[in-house]
Amino acid sequence: MTGRRTAQVLLALGGMFAWAVQFALIYGATSTLCGRGWADATLLAIGVVPFAILSTTLVTLVAAAILLIVSFREERRWRDQPSSTADAFLSQTGVLINGLSLIAILWNGVPAFILPACA
Amino acid sequence: MNAPELPKSFERREAELPNPLPRPEGEFDALKKAWEPPRWISFVTAVNNTYVGLWYVGTAFLFFILAGILSLIMRTQLAVPENDLVSHNLYNQLFTMHGTVMMFLFAVPAVEAASVYLLPNMQAARDLPFPRLSAYAFWAYFVGGLVFFGTIFFGLSPDGGWFMYPPLTSTKYSPAENADWWLLGIGFIEISAIAGAIEIIVGVMKTRAVGMSLDKLPVYSWAMLVFAVMIVIGFPAIILGTLLLEMERAFDWPFFIAERGGDPLLWQHLFWFFGHPEVYIIFLPATGMVSMIVPTMAQTPLVGYRLVVLALIATGFLSFGLWVHHMFATGLPKMSLSFFSAASTAVAVPSGIQVFAWIATIASGRMKLTTPSLFVIGFLFIFTLGGLTGVMVAMAPFDWQAHDSYFIVAHLHYVLIGGMVFPLFAAIYYWVPVASKRTLSERVGRWVFGLMFLGVNVTFLPMHITGLIGMPRRVYTYPVGMGWDALNLVSTIGAFMIAAGVALFLLDFARNFRFAGENNAGNVWNASTLEWLPNGNYNTRSIPIVVSRDPLWDQPNLSKDVEDGRYYLPGTATGGREALVTSPFDARPQYILQVPGPGWQPVLAAVFTAAFFLLLTVKFIFTSIICGVLAVGFVIWWLWETDPGPVRPPADIGGGIVVPVYATGPVNHSWWAMIVLMVVCGMIFTCLIFSYLFLWLVNPGAWPPQAVRIPDWIWPALSGFLYCASAALIAVASRHLRGEDRRKPRSVPILIGVALLLVSGASAVDLWAQWQTALSPSAHAYGAAVYAIVSLQIFFVLTTLIMGPYTIARWLAGKLDSVRRTTFDNTMLFWFYTVGQGLVGLLVVHGFPRLTGGI
Repeated sequence: MTGRRTAQVLLALGGMFAWAVQFALIYGATSTLCGRGWADATLLAIGVVPFAILSTTLVTLVAAAILLIVSFREERRWRDQPSSTADAFLSQTGVLINGLSLIAILWNGVPAFILPACA
Repeated sequence: MNAPELPKSFERREAELPNPLPRPEGEFDALKKAWEPPRWISFVTAVNNTYVGLWYVGTAFLFFILAGILSLIMRTQLAVPENDLVSHNLYNQLFTMHGTVMMFLFAVPAVEAASVYLLPNMQAARDLPFPRLSAYAFWAYFVGGLVFFGTIFFGLSPDGGWFMYPPLTSTKYSPAENADWWLLGIGFIEISAIAGAIEIIVGVMKTRAVGMSLDKLPVYSWAMLVFAVMIVIGFPAIILGTLLLEMERAFDWPFFIAERGGDPLLWQHLFWFFGHPEVYIIFLPATGMVSMIVPTMAQTPLVGYRLVVLALIATGFLSFGLWVHHMFATGLPKMSLSFFSAASTAVAVPSGIQVFAWIATIASGRMKLTTPSLFVIGFLFIFTLGGLTGVMVAMAPFDWQAHDSYFIVAHLHYVLIGGMVFPLFAAIYYWVPVASKRTLSERVGRWVFGLMFLGVNVTFLPMHITGLIGMPRRVYTYPVGMGWDALNLVSTIGAFMIAAGVALFLLDFARNFRFAGENNAGNVWNASTLEWLPNGNYNTRSIPIVVSRDPLWDQPNLSKDVEDGRYYLPGTATGGREALVTSPFDARPQYILQVPGPGWQPVLAAVFTAAFFLLLTVKFIFTSIICGVLAVGFVIWWLWETDPGPVRPPADIGGGIVVPVYATGPVNHSWWAMIVLMVVCGMIFTCLIFSYLFLWLVNPGAWPPQAVRIPDWIWPALSGFLYCASAALIAVASRHLRGEDRRKPRSVPILIGVALLLVSGASAVDLWAQWQTALSPSAHAYGAAVYAIVSLQIFFVLTTLIMGPYTIARWLAGKLDSVRRTTFDNTMLFWFYTVGQGLVGLLVVHGFPRLTGGI
């Protein structure tokens, strides 16, 4: 697989990887912070657990958004000049996957606004 | 290596097809001879996907029937209150075996088996890239599975439930060997599943019809690709889990014993990280089948192809974020549960996309109500109901009410029977004409569907209520007057209705199925995909060019032209079995893969692999080790015949395209397989590191325990240096082996030999570093976790101690040189992985406790 193809695959699946990173980090952080009794600790005036969840969500959200924008550009590029039908397909699939990932990341970050940290 | 350029447009006029007529005399006969299966007793050594695939499907179906019989015994026991048909001991074994056999011996193997048969046909490949690996996977599963099932007749079956939670399954509460049968008996099935997954990934990516670029890949191939990747990511967790639990039972390493720093919840994490994706692992191939059947029955292309592919990929990812929803009742923080709750509801979105795509396809065409169609409609109804109750139990508060009740039994059967069994029956009715000279009876098929559809609903719909009014799952009987009597009786009647449907299906199958090596029943449904091309043991006479997702509809003369040998590779270039390897994205021809033929090696290797695990279970240690050595020996013998090198100059496959008959490096199929294998190994290691960190988390202030001394830095530094030095020597050997001429540099075996000494030394230093501190693996989970990491590394180093000398032996035998170097490349990849894993292991074991300072 050439470098260009690897980049295409990473771009197409990137949003889902961002979701996986967010998921692993927010679950890992919550478990560690609650498990070590840091439920009441604060950072920048908010609880350290919601802080960890929100900051992770924000970073991965931005990453997924950037991937979505790049996917859109790629999609337009291949729509106009397809060197192969696989290019156009990959870029279109990338737009869909990165779009869905954006929603999934947002959805997973919502509990931080609703639930107490370690109850 | 660059793939040869294809013409700008694949749409050529008839006269411009790659190969002209008439074809040379003897060309077709040579092709048929190369692919002829062995006869008489040697027939069991056949490796053609058409044979192995059918045996595989048949065996999986046998386990479906056997596990189904177990469920009938359970339903008969529960038909009336206070029944004494079976004892509680036997009942425990029955429900454990029913779940285990259905999930491990039926569901996963059945979908893998179907793909072994279907994928090469659907992609117009001559065979899968590693046919002997398929045969090995099948025979290990066949022998091991039957022996495993046989334990039920001797009261030796596992009895801790299909998810085998400790501490119930720990030595303290399950001292007998029943639990070991599960832990070791499942071992070979995991190996079998992973072997199949590697085969499928490489098969889908590398052996397709020319021009079948990713956008033209059948949805079934997409589904199998995602399925196989999920196995590669998910199965290592259960492999590691079973290893840890067995080490606890055999050597008293307390991973799950709370009194010594272990935690039973660790098992639940490892099990469900595999167990929940497992549901999708069996569901996705079924959806792939449905996505093939629906367009044919509606006689119109699938609506929303891209969205369906999106749904498959998204499900593959999201399904790994659900595992804790099986652990909602374990007391984890609500915030943590909510992440899994969110992912559990999110995964309904891609499933919904697929359901709507099928409905839209049905609406845009004219659906013929055949037996496959009926099973698809039944699937949509039953699975959707199961999906809805799935969204209900994804809500933690509801799950706390329904947990471990018959509501869950109802939910999981709606999902699994609806999501997998009905599509499988649809698939059997749909694809039998590819494998048989006759189709199955449509009339009988309707009865089969009717009995099964009604039976499933009569059995499991009442169970929702039985569960909500309080009946727990896994009880062998219940008292009169709980309000459960009538509901249970109805469920039992329903179970026998399903059994009647399956029995009728078997009768129909016995009456009509006639295996067709050639001259199958033909394209009876007017389907659009390549498995309906005329085929034989060699699959298709020539390998077609594909210009759309529905080639048989869009290329009207395709069948005849393929059969006449007018497309690529209409004969055999090397005189043996071959497959055309294509590029993974655009499916351009890259090289001719010399496919190995029948042989006893995979059969015997599989038999001894199964024997190794099974004998270990009954503590026949010496005999077990002999079997293990024999299994490795037969694998080496089998490999010795592979990596044939360029036996002839590049061959013209038609249309002016000339491809080599051998390739190395990233274009090579076995390079891909090694990469996938390393991902499997990496996942096992990742799960082990997760276990280490999890045990740290549950042991505040005791990591390491106070009496434990961490080895000095000098030891890991020395070990790390030796690892790096061994990898450097292998890299130097690789450079020496480079070149276009067939050189055989003398330095190569010496470099490998020294590297072997260094890597062994690195591992020995690592072990010694812990040993000299008198760290005990049994005293505390810390020691157990450290020694688990060290032991896994030793296992990998021992593997290099087999691969290294094997590579040297090939050099000595003149089977390794600068061109014919696939064996070396594979050894090198594995070596680098082993070194990388060793370094990370050192960093974690020696660095983490220092970093956290005993917090």
